[in-house]
Amino acid sequence: MNIFLQEFKMNFKSVVTWSLSIAVFIMFYMGVYPTFAADAELINEMMANFPPELLMAFGMDQTDLSTVLGFFSFIFVLCQVMLAIQAANYGFSILSVEERDLTADFLLAKPVRRSRILTSKLLAALTGLTITNAVVWISSFTAVNLFRGERTFETQPFILLLLSIAVFQLVFLALGMFISLLVKKVRNVTPYSMGLAFGMYVLSAFGDMLGDAKLELITPFKHFEPHFIVNNGNYDLPLAYLSVSFIVVAIVGSYVLYSKRNIASAV
Amino acid sequence: MNIFLREVKSNFKSLLIWGVIVVLFISVGFSKFSAYADNPEMLAILDNLPPALLEAFNFDAFNLTTVTGFFGVMFSYFALLLSISAAMWGSDVISKEERDKTVEFALTLPVPRSRLVTAKTLAALVNCIGLNLITYGAILYSVGQYTPDADFYNFLSIGMLALFFMQLIFLAIGIFLGAAMKQYKRASSVAVSLLLGTYFLSILSDLNQDFEFIKYISPFKYFNPALILRDSGLDMNYVWLSLAIIVICIAGAHFTYSRRDLYI
Repeated sequence: MNIFLQEFKMNFKSVVTWSLSIAVFIMFYMGVYPTFAADAELINEMMANFPPELLMAFGMDQTDLSTVLGFFSFIFVLCQVMLAIQAANYGFSILSVEERDLTADFLLAKPVRRSRILTSKLLAALTGLTITNAVVWISSFTAVNLFRGERTFETQPFILLLLSIAVFQLVFLALGMFISLLVKKVRNVTPYSMGLAFGMYVLSAFGDMLGDAKLELITPFKHFEPHFIVNNGNYDLPLAYLSVSFIVVAIVGSYVLYSKRNIASAV
Repeated sequence: MNIFLREVKSNFKSLLIWGVIVVLFISVGFSKFSAYADNPEMLAILDNLPPALLEAFNFDAFNLTTVTGFFGVMFSYFALLLSISAAMWGSDVISKEERDKTVEFALTLPVPRSRLVTAKTLAALVNCIGLNLITYGAILYSVGQYTPDADFYNFLSIGMLALFFMQLIFLAIGIFLGAAMKQYKRASSVAVSLLLGTYFLSILSDLNQDFEFIKYISPFKYFNPALILRDSGLDMNYVWLSLAIIVICIAGAHFTYSRRDLYI
């Protein structure tokens, strides 16, 4: 319990910063929606006359951005990028920070098993991520209802989108932690978390632009792709299970690796 | 000179990793492009469309059936990758001494602090140039089989120059943050949030005309591939703006670092 509290306290400021910036982001972008939707409807009418191949050549054959959910799913992708970076940050730093700051030998000298330490730390990070998750829920509901005006939207895909956040965060948290245990030493967390989160994002955005291929299937951004959820009102289940299996493998792997890890000490 | 060489050596591994990422990215991109290149169905439809319409959409710059359009579309992804790497290198190169507790040693060397900053800046610059050349080379290698015309090579080299300016901007911002931030641990996260912030702003300005002013704030808006292709050159206003940002940041880094209270 002590480890959990200490860990949570250390993370708290960062959780607040992330939550606030994502909330501001959602409010701000949804605020653009009313004026954008009016323009987009005009463009849609115009584009309806174009041959589909032309739209495909421009990568414009995607979701209709003039609808509430279409627009929301567009900003939700960017939201996912931030959530992924946050979760990956926590994942990479959760264990490596002790070794880098040479506090690991102090911590491991406590009469607690390593697996207990890992569990406490993991739960603390999860609590932080869940707070952010809750803030995203609240601000999404507020923003959408504030700015949708006369337009209506289906609640089910919207809820599904928001529900996907928890698994999405957990994937990046677990993968980050697992990778940090695979390498010898994590000097600076940011390059790792940026590499993981942004790399996955670019891979998936890139796939959207140029049609289907196999490689994109590994990115969690594809597993919970907002366009798919909005268009089909359901998850892409095989891919969603892939995310879940990533989580299981990474967490089990982390417990195994951490209990055997050789820890660098100060002296 | 010693500091410079040492820095270049210690940064080399990171350059290699980024190089591999960029090359992978380009090869994946071109394997997808092969499905679009000279796709007869698409070309037939394009031929039937009125030229004025194509003009209105900046069609040449984003037409996925040609290598030119392909590079135009890929430009923003390259911009992201290259500027992330530059921001990382910039913010890390100075602050890592404090993180690794080697700063006392580095500063007891008989060199003024500003020399240290200069040497480190140059070493990070070598990495940026290296990555830019790797990108350039990989694209040149991949387009070979499509036998592009001279216009494409012109567009590509000006585009790479634009990317280089963006790298320099984020490198300079990173270096300034690394030198000026009191909490050295924050430097890289602040640099990254600046980068993300300006990237998201550039998306916002595409959505709404009211946010036109963003084109001066976000470096991702400084160089537009459609305009590069049309004018076959860079917009000089933005070149001067970029240079101003770079000079101010580097000067600021020298100024703040020479009076910095070190965290030991």
